[in-house]
Amino acid sequence: MSAQAAPTRRAGLAGHMNELSLLAGIFVLYAVFAATADGFMTFHNQINILRDAATIGIAAWAATLIIIAGEIDVSTGPMVAFVSVILAYFLQWGVPTLPAFALALLLGGALGGIAGALRAFCDVPSFVATLGLWSALRGIALYLTDALPVSIGRNPVVDALDRSFLGVPPSAILMLLLFAVFLFISRKTAFGRSVYAVGGNPQAAFLSGINVARVRVMVFVIGGVMAALSGILLLSRLGSGNATAASGLEFDVIAAVVVGGTALSGGRGSMVGTLLGVLVITLIGNGLILLGINPFIQQVVRGLIIVGAVLANIQAIKRARARQA
Amino acid sequence: MTDFTPDTRPVIARLTGCSKRYPGVIALSDADFELRAGEVRALLGKNGAGKSTMIRLLTGAETPDTGLVTIGDTPLRDAGSGRAAEAFGLGVRVVYQELSLVMDLSIAENLFLGRWPRQGGVIRHKVMYAEAQAALARLGVTLSPALPVSALSPAERQLVEIARVLIGSPKLVILDEPTSSLAEAEANKVLAAVRRIAAEGIAVIYVSHRMNEIRQIADSVTVMRDGRIIETVPASGAATREIVRLMLGAHMEEQARIQPGHPGAVVLEVQNIALAPKLADISFTLRAGEVLGIAGLLGSGRTELLQAIMGIARPQSGEIRVDGQPVTGASYRAMLRRGFGFTPESRKEAGIVPMLGVDENTVVTDFAAVSLRGRLLSRILSAPRIAAATRRVIDRLQIKTARTDTPIGTLSGGNQQKVVIGRWVHAGSRVLLLDEPTRGVDVEAKAQIYRIIRELAAENCAVIFVSSEVEELPLVCDRVLVLRDRRIAEEMTAPNIDQDRLLAACLTAA
Repeated sequence: MSAQAAPTRRAGLAGHMNELSLLAGIFVLYAVFAATADGFMTFHNQINILRDAATIGIAAWAATLIIIAGEIDVSTGPMVAFVSVILAYFLQWGVPTLPAFALALLLGGALGGIAGALRAFCDVPSFVATLGLWSALRGIALYLTDALPVSIGRNPVVDALDRSFLGVPPSAILMLLLFAVFLFISRKTAFGRSVYAVGGNPQAAFLSGINVARVRVMVFVIGGVMAALSGILLLSRLGSGNATAASGLEFDVIAAVVVGGTALSGGRGSMVGTLLGVLVITLIGNGLILLGINPFIQQVVRGLIIVGAVLANIQAIKRARARQA
Repeated sequence: MTDFTPDTRPVIARLTGCSKRYPGVIALSDADFELRAGEVRALLGKNGAGKSTMIRLLTGAETPDTGLVTIGDTPLRDAGSGRAAEAFGLGVRVVYQELSLVMDLSIAENLFLGRWPRQGGVIRHKVMYAEAQAALARLGVTLSPALPVSALSPAERQLVEIARVLIGSPKLVILDEPTSSLAEAEANKVLAAVRRIAAEGIAVIYVSHRMNEIRQIADSVTVMRDGRIIETVPASGAATREIVRLMLGAHMEEQARIQPGHPGAVVLEVQNIALAPKLADISFTLRAGEVLGIAGLLGSGRTELLQAIMGIARPQSGEIRVDGQPVTGASYRAMLRRGFGFTPESRKEAGIVPMLGVDENTVVTDFAAVSLRGRLLSRILSAPRIAAATRRVIDRLQIKTARTDTPIGTLSGGNQQKVVIGRWVHAGSRVLLLDEPTRGVDVEAKAQIYRIIRELAAENCAVIFVSSEVEELPLVCDRVLVLRDRRIAEEMTAPNIDQDRLLAACLTAA
């Protein structure tokens, strides 16, 4: 059926049409912005792009698994903000930094687990379950903080997380490391392949003995942990917990995954595609700001480019498949 | 053909010398068929006998290669896509097996689906309800047209389907196994509706294999076999034995009958299982090394029986024991851990993950067997071990695939089915429950599947083999149970498994 279903081993270039067309798109974006936007090609700006990519990317790796499993998670932004706020309180109360981090990750995993359990055991559609989280988490965070930043004062560990290593911000390094981990999980582990099977045909997966409910819960737990990690990085970047931060992040994440060629209907997609999708989304954001385009118009342009990219991608894959047939 | 009663009623549908050939098969050959107003004709025949081809000719879905299809006095002329509309215009209607109702819309909305009476885009509910009420009354149904279809029983849904085709003025209504999913009491409602339709002077073709029903409502029975109309006999006098002879024809003794073997220990005991409304008081045992066939008509509860054993459906009463230990109420996954394997009836919907490769569709039942060695690494897959395990299954089951990682969706039905069975070979299952494993599979693949099943039995596997094709049961099974009227109606043991007696037992009480 699909040539890029398991991108690990499908032979030939046609099997990688999705990735190739995305690479071409990224090349075009680079060429356009390099020619038109002052300061786009500077080292400093490239680092900025990486740092922005980390914000979307870390959450997007988990979202790719969720979407391949045939689910969706719209709670990312509020979850990141909520965790950053709670973590800030932990630190204010004097919880040692590293245990506080661990608690934050645990909290994220538990919150994701709630959404996953609602989906797996109560048949609540994941869109609804995570929409509920989206609203409730943002609300709690705003209520607790009155929408004011929760300062944590000086904290060497937190500060270290925002200090560049050989010019590269730790968040970017973390993003790339996690990319490798998720690439490995999605391709090489029984769990990763079960995610594809559950998304591709849940009934067949169940009858083959896959614990479908567990897979569904797990992808959301992973999503929660990654959101919490993003929350920790947010805290280190802003030096405070912030209930209003990461607004709309979930849509950037979903856009990156979808632009990366992962099917919203489940069963099909790849981490490499998402990596390229994250780059596309980040480049567009960065370039448009440098061009000094009116921020409202930026949103319009971004919307058009996202839909255009997916459209072009679908066409390219269709053509490649037609040639194969 | 129908000259056993002099009949003055006008002919509604006629096939004259119709043949239809598909690549590699003659689906219908030189068929002559005549049906008069108000007549109810039962159509009988095994899978592939040509029933559906004949129905498609009547509905204009297909054009015969030679011959003429006449509805009323008008021969169908259009050779292309307009033909179906032509037949529809002349009053041909079909109710297919799969229900095509929108569950959350009301009965009335379903009856007029897409053609709602409206004024300026607004549906005129009063008019619609009144007309719907009238349409239901024609069938003797008194349901409120405002009820959502989801609130109806299966029989009532079937009645709504039938009421839908009665809107307008149909001349010929074709019902394709309308009662196959219904319990007997329920089915009677549908039969009553069919009588009313016929009384209005509408001609009815009734595809079914339930002889009791056929005797109740049909005037005559047309039996088809191998693309030919074999004979049309009056329904009232038709002996089941005679019908079976017509359906199966003269056939040679099976080439290789199964010789009674020496089955091993009892692995599965089913005691007095009941699963309303399909099964009541089912008991049997299964031994290692034995292939147990389950025969029965569509809707006789074969699938439900397998689901009850596997823990997918929960029986209301009775007990199931594996190796002497009670497992009643065990989950599906628990049954898999006990060494059971199950292949579903619907390969596409529940069998394969089409986008994944043959390899992953095979090893999915046991990832641990193809993982890296060592406790910490046991959840990490090893590509060479996946390839080797898949290759073993491919070789053993003679699966035709270019590579081990070819997406399974691109394989033929027979090869897909072999993978679905092969995944349990990979898992090392010792009890296999196969639900219609040869459905939609070509002849060569069928023979290979029989051989695989016998080989597995020779290796001490216990197999339950569900089939609606009585010819294949004597080729594969040591023993066959016939399901009819919710119970095990008959049991036959090799070498005395005989397809004529099997079919007769499926159709009706002896």
